[in-house]
Amino acid sequence: MTPEQEALRDAVRSLLDKHSDVRAAIETPRGYDKALWARLCDIGVLPIPEEYGGSGATRAETHLALEELGRTLTPSPLLGTAIAAQALLTFEGNGILLRRIAQGAIATVAWDHTGITSTDAFDHPEVNARSDYLDGTARYVLDGDLAEILLVSDGRSLYEVDLAGVTREHTPTVDQTRRLATIHFSNAPATRLGPWKTEIQDIALAALAAEQVGAAQRALELTVEYTKTRVQFGRPLASFQALKHRMADMHVLVETARSAARAANDEVSAAVAKVYCSEAFLKIASEMVQLHGGIAITWEHDAHLYFKRAHGSSQLFGSPADHIERLTRSAQL
Amino acid sequence: MDLTLDAATLEFRAEVRSWLTEHVRPLSSMDTAPGFEEHRTWERLLAAERLSVVSWPEEFGGRDLGLLQWLIFEEEYHAAGAPGRVSQNGIFLLAPTLFAHGTDEQRARILPPMARGDEVWAQAWSEPEAGSDLASLRSTAVRTDGGWLLRGQKTWSSRAAFADRAFGLFRTSPEGRHRGLTYLMFDLRASGVTVRPIAQLDGEPGFAEIFLDDVFVPDRDVIGDVGDGWRVAMSTAGNERGLSLRSPGRFVAAAARLVELYRKNPDPALRDRVVDAWIGAQAYRLHTFGALGNPPTGPAASVTKVFWSELDVSVHETALDLLGEVAPGWRDGWLFSLAGPIYAGTNEIQRNVIAERILGLPR
Repeated sequence: MTPEQEALRDAVRSLLDKHSDVRAAIETPRGYDKALWARLCDIGVLPIPEEYGGSGATRAETHLALEELGRTLTPSPLLGTAIAAQALLTFEGNGILLRRIAQGAIATVAWDHTGITSTDAFDHPEVNARSDYLDGTARYVLDGDLAEILLVSDGRSLYEVDLAGVTREHTPTVDQTRRLATIHFSNAPATRLGPWKTEIQDIALAALAAEQVGAAQRALELTVEYTKTRVQFGRPLASFQALKHRMADMHVLVETARSAARAANDEVSAAVAKVYCSEAFLKIASEMVQLHGGIAITWEHDAHLYFKRAHGSSQLFGSPADHIERLTRSAQL
Repeated sequence: MDLTLDAATLEFRAEVRSWLTEHVRPLSSMDTAPGFEEHRTWERLLAAERLSVVSWPEEFGGRDLGLLQWLIFEEEYHAAGAPGRVSQNGIFLLAPTLFAHGTDEQRARILPPMARGDEVWAQAWSEPEAGSDLASLRSTAVRTDGGWLLRGQKTWSSRAAFADRAFGLFRTSPEGRHRGLTYLMFDLRASGVTVRPIAQLDGEPGFAEIFLDDVFVPDRDVIGDVGDGWRVAMSTAGNERGLSLRSPGRFVAAAARLVELYRKNPDPALRDRVVDAWIGAQAYRLHTFGALGNPPTGPAASVTKVFWSELDVSVHETALDLLGEVAPGWRDGWLFSLAGPIYAGTNEIQRNVIAERILGLPR
């Protein structure tokens, strides 16, 4: 990590320490803190070059910010918006859209999981391009009902959709810290940006993996802190070897997951990161619940938020099983 | 993380690949007398090409290459199915200790014959009453004119049945558990040494007991200061647990073989386990490449040790489940993988290290 990256990470962490209130945010109609989003954009965490009015951050810096947001589970449009910005940057001539994002517009991408045999839950978006009008339904679209810029793929092309032509509804899921939506397209006017590229999916998987690693790391830290202070049989829980070994295994998982996430930069390594980080975070969140005991089963304690986020994130952008299926069919395997 | 290799590294990879393709052939088990000598000859062949210890300085037989090139060498070595390294205790465990704590005289005298396979080293850590609790060891080194006299018993000593020399810890003072230990090297053929081979679970003597009865060791064969052996030894332990001994090349190659096996014996019920093992090997590789600038030593090495040893077991168990029987080509690797979570400090000890020294959990 460069000194500049460390400074950026510290700035994001300090901002979230002071201003992130997950419980309050999920009770608001839009599900996130608008003032916090504005401050985050001001720090310059979006991967937009300076020529488009951005901070010049690269995806490495964006991923550091996503790790921080993962730690605190802060609901934020950063994940979807960062993916959309990177998707736009894979084409020429999207300066206007990129400038709007740099100024704080929320953006998202909905795509067909080309090359994946989907389960019923992941058959989105069922859109069919009819010249520059789209029909169909896109499901489980990240920030889909909030986005001011909506990019959608029919599996062949990527479009920017005129929001006047779509109806959108919030889709509540098990993870209240994540905003998903269903979008209906009925003769919706759309501008074709270019051919759909699978590298946009790789970009999304890598970004999500960074967030998963941050959340897994924090779930472990909270578990370590709790077991060091909770006393039973006259000793801290953390002094019992059976629990120490479980936390040691959690640490091994976090460290290897971080390596996989940071290395994700092509089709295979992004799929590896998605599967590995999803499974690592799921395991760590389950262990967090077990090692906290009864308190973890309460609404008041945050353990269930990590647990739900772990499950939701493992399903987002295709489940580990979907990606294992894809890997087995790829040239590598 | 950028895994793009420069032209010189790619050229090195090509050179290693082509040399191995031309020279690798199956050898007998290194845990038999004739197989041991075949492996020694193989080490000499590697050394003649300066390929036995590529990361060492040229004066000791290496090529002065970096850790990245060593990892590339290892990937090619394992992908080619090249023989196990009979020299590994010396080149991966003793040599790093000599680089860190030895004298110029020791390095000049010991490293070149080690690199050529002329002197093969065994390790002598464990004792019948000192396994996981290594610091409770009882073998002693008693001061004598010009050196030390070793007394006691070592066990689980890998390669000792046929090796030339050994290194280990001995108690030079009864005071303190860790403070009274000294790191010494000795000749396995010296007067007073009795080596009793122990058959491993494959039936061959991969390790041995060593009985020491007033074995003379000159002062020049003490590494580091007298009484400072524990600290010196722990730097070796970090190498054994970390990436030196178990580079990702071994697991990436084994996982690739597993995928190949699945192609020939597809069993949908086992498919996820095959992919998980492959993903695990990739994750370990990425972890290692990511740590290049800051190689895991000390407690961080315990993280990698737990990971690679359990990955190795799962790759081999999945292969056996695919085959439905203990098949040639996988049996030896499977049996060897069972030792991984035990040697170099059991994984239970590693988990204690991670819990107490990284996570700060109370003892």
